[in-house]
Amino acid sequence: MRVEELATVKEFEAIHIADKDRAVSTGYCGDLLSDVMANAPAQSVLMTIQAHKNTIAVASLVGISALVICNGRTVGADMLDAAREEEISIFVTDLNHFEAAAKVMALLERGDAGTH
Amino acid sequence: MQVRIDLHNHSCLSPCADDGMLPSLLALQAMERGIEILALTDHNATENLDAFGEACKLCSIMPVYGIEVTTIEEVHLLVLFEGLKEARAYGSAIQETLPRRLNQAERFGRQIICDVAGTVVNEVDLMLSSASSLSFDEVVVDASKAGALVIPAHIDRPSYSVLANLGFLPDLPYTAVEMVNPTPQAWTVITASDAHFLEEVGIRSCILEMEEIGWEALKRSLGDQKNVRY
Repeated sequence: MRVEELATVKEFEAIHIADKDRAVSTGYCGDLLSDVMANAPAQSVLMTIQAHKNTIAVASLVGISALVICNGRTVGADMLDAAREEEISIFVTDLNHFEAAAKVMALLERGDAGTH
Repeated sequence: MQVRIDLHNHSCLSPCADDGMLPSLLALQAMERGIEILALTDHNATENLDAFGEACKLCSIMPVYGIEVTTIEEVHLLVLFEGLKEARAYGSAIQETLPRRLNQAERFGRQIICDVAGTVVNEVDLMLSSASSLSFDEVVVDASKAGALVIPAHIDRPSYSVLANLGFLPDLPYTAVEMVNPTPQAWTVITASDAHFLEEVGIRSCILEMEEIGWEALKRSLGDQKNVRY
């Protein structure tokens, strides 16, 4: 699926869309950026509460397509600036990681069904 | 002159520290281990700094009044002050930013406030192992503007460290960084005991080349890695 489809989840608010056509093929949940760096797949959407600008740098390094900042955590101006610079899309949600991941999984499965 | 320093230690106020870790015993043990500049850095709390300061003076140790702040990213950060009053005020401000969750002493450990004689004066009700609502970046920037020494704690540990939680060190004005096993970094690297039990006091310390024993000299000395030996 593409980044823009994440905006169809009514609980996700897009605060920055860098490239709406960027591909998303999987997801990852994690708040320890050392773990995200080591284990998150490229082309993934990252569910995290780590609303820090380092998250953008790590996303860029790993090739993460978009972030979903969970539990209603606030994204600061410095993080948003970094996201614009590094062209990473950010969504925020009051959902927790599990609930947000379920929404992303449903979108991915729908996408898979469409291509079969 | 060569001065042995240990800038990260807990007292019985930290829930995870031993109840017998009285501020006065911390100072005594540090004196026996040859430490001349010693910090007390309880988790999100400064209520034992009064007793600690008194004890250090009795032991001819220079006290550094500190706190180990848990930032919203769950990163541990040492913030160290020259004066007791400013440290106590800073500690109160940090406690305002903790969740209003009460400690369960039987599960997480007691949070004991005591005097220099070791008499229990009170216990802190608020759960001190919670995370502040303040971000790592704002604590570093604001505390260093306020003249404090700001040192990310045990950055090479797998938990509660800036490297584990944030992946790499954001480019900020740290005084130094603390490592369990020092390796070269872009900032001055110190090591410290992070003692939670009396027998751990002084297990890690470093020797600083300083002009004299004092706050300004400490600050200046930490500005250059060349002044530090382990």
